Amino acid sequence: MYDASHSDSDVVSREYKISARGVDVFYGDNHAIKEVTADFDDKTVTAFIGPSGCGKSTFLRCINRMNDTIASARVMGEILVDGEDIYDPQVDPVQLRARVGMVFQKPNPFPKSIFDNVAYGPKIHGMARGKAELQDVVESALRRGAIWDEVKDRLDEPGTGLSGGQQQRLCIARAVATEPEILLMDEPCSALDPIATAQIEELIDELRQNYSVVIVTHSMQQAARVSQKTAFFHLGNLVEYDDTGQIFTNPKDPRTESYITGRIG
Amino acid sequence: MPISWLLLTLFGLAALGFWLGQTRALKSANGDRKALHSLPSYYGGTVVIWTILPSLTLLIAWLFIQSPVIEGFVVRSLQSETADGDHASSLMMADVRRMAAGLEIISGAKDLEQNIINYSDEGLKNFQDQLSANGIALGSDLTPEILTAAQTYLKLSDTSSFWMNLVVCVVSILGLAFGVFRSNKDFRARNVVERGIMMTLICAASIAILTTAGILLSLIFNTIEFFQLYRPIDFFFGFEWAPSFSGRGGNSLLGVIPLLWGTFYVSLIALLVAVPIGLFSAIYLSEYASKRVRAFAKPLLEVLAGIPTIVYGLFALLTVGPMLMRAFGDETIGLMSGGNAVITAGLVMGIMLIPFVSSLSDDIINAVPQALREGSYGLGATQSETIRQVILPAALPGIVGAILLAASRAIGETMIVVLGAGAAARLSLNPFDAMTTVTAKIVSQLTGDSDFSSPEVLVAFALGTTLFLLTLALNVLALYIVRRYREHYE
Repeated sequence: MYDASHSDSDVVSREYKISARGVDVFYGDNHAIKEVTADFDDKTVTAFIGPSGCGKSTFLRCINRMNDTIASARVMGEILVDGEDIYDPQVDPVQLRARVGMVFQKPNPFPKSIFDNVAYGPKIHGMARGKAELQDVVESALRRGAIWDEVKDRLDEPGTGLSGGQQQRLCIARAVATEPEILLMDEPCSALDPIATAQIEELIDELRQNYSVVIVTHSMQQAARVSQKTAFFHLGNLVEYDDTGQIFTNPKDPRTESYITGRIG
Repeated sequence: MPISWLLLTLFGLAALGFWLGQTRALKSANGDRKALHSLPSYYGGTVVIWTILPSLTLLIAWLFIQSPVIEGFVVRSLQSETADGDHASSLMMADVRRMAAGLEIISGAKDLEQNIINYSDEGLKNFQDQLSANGIALGSDLTPEILTAAQTYLKLSDTSSFWMNLVVCVVSILGLAFGVFRSNKDFRARNVVERGIMMTLICAASIAILTTAGILLSLIFNTIEFFQLYRPIDFFFGFEWAPSFSGRGGNSLLGVIPLLWGTFYVSLIALLVAVPIGLFSAIYLSEYASKRVRAFAKPLLEVLAGIPTIVYGLFALLTVGPMLMRAFGDETIGLMSGGNAVITAGLVMGIMLIPFVSSLSDDIINAVPQALREGSYGLGATQSETIRQVILPAALPGIVGAILLAASRAIGETMIVVLGAGAAARLSLNPFDAMTTVTAKIVSQLTGDSDFSSPEVLVAFALGTTLFLLTLALNVLALYIVRRYREHYE
């Protein structure tokens, strides 16, 4: 249903949302990302694929400076969001993370009510004045997370009581509630069953209208279904980055071809 | 044969059995280890279990039953002659036991009947002198009856231990034979050893549980005795604590309320000190401190838990009390009239409890999944926002459990109160007043010349039971809360 070929042509914008220039990441002595340079479009779904430990999650976590929370991690090089270097000392990583939302591998709702889970971000950033406005923000976020109809009658129940797929959509709604410009997704479907996965993929396609989405995935079918651009990482190198259709039908690098045909990984 | 020899014999038999079992099993498989159901050592182990377990159980049971049976026999023979009450006979029994020990030392335990003692007054006097020269003092003058009883006692003990040795050895050998007999290649020795290990573990667990029940029982009998002498309603609802040691009963006022109030007040202050400091240090250690700082700060903090409470008591008496006196005493604002006060004990006890609260809370905060932290950071929350709004609410039930455990420690604490809070039982709201707690009063009621039939002494057991039930309730509550928390994140 999400045929790669029809969506590739939609990408017209050349105003890059995210630009990486010579990014190196070290975990202690381990050189996890080597000299990655790439530009990512706005209102596009970009998929990162590659074998385990190839650095795709690490690179994703550079875009909202989540690697700052790991003491041994060092990031070098430049990452620009809207032309602004996010590793500039002037930039507050906390502010940045409000602009660059993140969805994690395992659904991680807070042990709070569904409402409070979604209201968490808007409350912290003072995005709503008064209770009524907060309710509107929460409702619209839950709608954009495609979960409103399932939870509208039980907003006071704990978010941890939902099913895995619902929890993940709640986490997406929670990330969307802070009005980010970019949404990073770190294998968002790896803990979910096929039906929940299909729902999330559908949702990702809708989110593309408003956000620039970067998704890490282990499933090449998923990358082909949801993304317009695909980047293949291998051993910390960005091996190939192109239109999704191009990567899957006519890869230029022999390593990419081996990976998508299942010979390395 | 002393017990140690018997035990050595048993272990020797076990070693022999181990070898025999292994050999026999191997032989039944014609030396082919692969044909055995279990490894050879398991066959040996099975024989060891059969050799040791029944005989050792029998030995322990015999040792427990032996002395009451013998004493009952001796006491009955004494009573028929003296016809005294229970109390006197128990005193006499103590003399008999001491005598028996003396006889053993002086005569070398053998030939009791024949030598040394003739039953004339002079002979008895001589013997008593000989005993006291050997460091054995009798409660009363030696009488022929007691001497006879002591000799009977010795003879019976001798017979009993002879039979015990014999029976235990026989049981052990029978067990060995049974175990060896069963060792052949198809026998599932591995499973038997597995069950043996399980039984051993169950025994260890039940000893711990039974001891708790034993402690409670030992308190309960004396408590019941107390309540026969003193009205429970006066004890539980009395506002006055004024025991008199001169008169017997009657004019003592033994109301528990002032003591409970003192306990509550001291514990409250202790918790007011310990909970914030402990919790904040736990948050610092688990969330902010680098690995290096944590590696050395955490053990350092836990050293506080290793300090004996008497040392904290000295700290209260010599340092904190006088310091508070200088700040709040007569020379400044005159709130405090002496170094001994609720606030002194409370502050020091609070310091004692800090590692308790911090160590437990630290574990609980660490158990909050990292995914929740990342989720919060990913939404643009700062570290303290994350802690306040995500981590603490998630860890709250566990932290409450930790605080309740600390509270039950505070309620049971004695030495700091004795040295820091004074000895006056008083109902007062002023934290600078001297007060006392339940535990401190238990000590003072039991120390000194205690007569275990007066309510002034027996009240200690009633206090102990009250305290036990109180802390038990708190612990159960704490465990319940902690367990519910655990179910929260599988």
